[in-house]
Amino acid sequence: MLKAVWAIARKDLRLTLARGSGLAQALLLGLLLLFVFSLSQQVGETMSPQGAAAIFWLASAFCQVLVFNMLYGLEEVNGARGGLLLMPWPVQAVWLGKSLAGLVLLLLAQAVFLPAAVVFLGQQISPLWSWALCAVLLVDVGMAALGSLLGALSQGQAARESLLGIVLFPLLAPLLLAGIRVGAGGFADALPEGVTSWLGVAAAFDALFLGAGIALFGFIYAGEE
Amino acid sequence: MPETADKIPEKTARPATDGSRAGFPFSPVVPALSGGAALAACQWLIYVYAPLEITMGVVQKIFYIHLPLAWWAFVSFFVVFAASIAFLRGRAARWDRLAAAAAEVGVLCSGLALITGSLWARHSWGVWWTWDPRLTTTLIMWFVYAGYLVLRALDLPEARRAMICAVVGIVAFIDVPLVFVSARLWRSIHPAVFASRGGGLDEAMKVTVIACVLCFGLLWAALIWARKRQLDLRARLDALLVEEE
Repeated sequence: MLKAVWAIARKDLRLTLARGSGLAQALLLGLLLLFVFSLSQQVGETMSPQGAAAIFWLASAFCQVLVFNMLYGLEEVNGARGGLLLMPWPVQAVWLGKSLAGLVLLLLAQAVFLPAAVVFLGQQISPLWSWALCAVLLVDVGMAALGSLLGALSQGQAARESLLGIVLFPLLAPLLLAGIRVGAGGFADALPEGVTSWLGVAAAFDALFLGAGIALFGFIYAGEE
Repeated sequence: MPETADKIPEKTARPATDGSRAGFPFSPVVPALSGGAALAACQWLIYVYAPLEITMGVVQKIFYIHLPLAWWAFVSFFVVFAASIAFLRGRAARWDRLAAAAAEVGVLCSGLALITGSLWARHSWGVWWTWDPRLTTTLIMWFVYAGYLVLRALDLPEARRAMICAVVGIVAFIDVPLVFVSARLWRSIHPAVFASRGGGLDEAMKVTVIACVLCFGLLWAALIWARKRQLDLRARLDALLVEEE
């Protein structure tokens, strides 16, 4: 099955990154959000680390919606979804492969959002950045697992971005809170209180939704239009 | 009618054809009337039996409506979760309709709990809204299940729509403990209603609120029952129309 997971992830990454407009839409939307929120500051004023972390994760969440809609949109023409379903591997390989591809794309986008947050929101990377990086990785794994599970439900729907956003964003609340609280430590001189508890929440979310993805994806991903 | 008639065919857009048989065949008159009478009796407990709270005065009486709404909203969401699992196990359309009815009642109850809680917060804490684990969890659940109802309204083949909603119904409920824990880690100012030591309620207030919760349960059951029956009848009508065509 891992062979299939890797093959699907590689196919999706090739198709996405080879296209000129692949990740550009998600990147532009995220950058635009960071820039618009920078307008909330007065001249010479700097945003609090927690505020900056919240905007960074907001940009990441919108980027995630676009990424997973794009990944599931790849198979919407020429009956390609039926091709994936006919693979001689469990259908969960599709979920895991798309989760992996989505995780890589999200990390690539965040590699652009992070310097943009530093520039637009007047932040600086603190010596405690390793904790924030740990939070980014844990939160991204959860976002990829849930995004891939729910991304499949909006396949073939009109206004699918808004549909996925409506369902996904409230469910992501625990992860985003963890990302914001620990991520603020990456912009501040001191770690916020209860960092290990927050990382625990993010890890529990990852475990729960990786399990839910394996158990439930087969019900959602079908050949119907 | 054979038992299999209640199952949604996997690859068809035909509606389920089990309207009358698999659902609640009788109208919910008994729980509705008894719930209404019990809640009317609760007004005596609220305004006569329970003492007036010293600092909040009569505004504290909101609590006797707010708490049952919040608790039964959570029970509704648990029913959505359980019915969604039952649907995925047997693909019986009656479970899908039960989940739909429970979600609608749950969104209604949690919405009213949020409004009454907001009125309480304005008087008690001086703000309409504040960050608190229970408030935040209720609000996030309201958003999740409102999204679930949007999904239910999508123009999709019946089988696919039911399947998607069942998955979201399960995912939404397993997220709740994490939402609560994360909201609590953020910060909390909610009063402890049934605290074992310190805080907590006066004995008469406790009796009143327990009576209100139980009596509201009857009304809640009547609402779910009535809505489920409506959905059963609609499914039956749809099936009859399809057969005639």
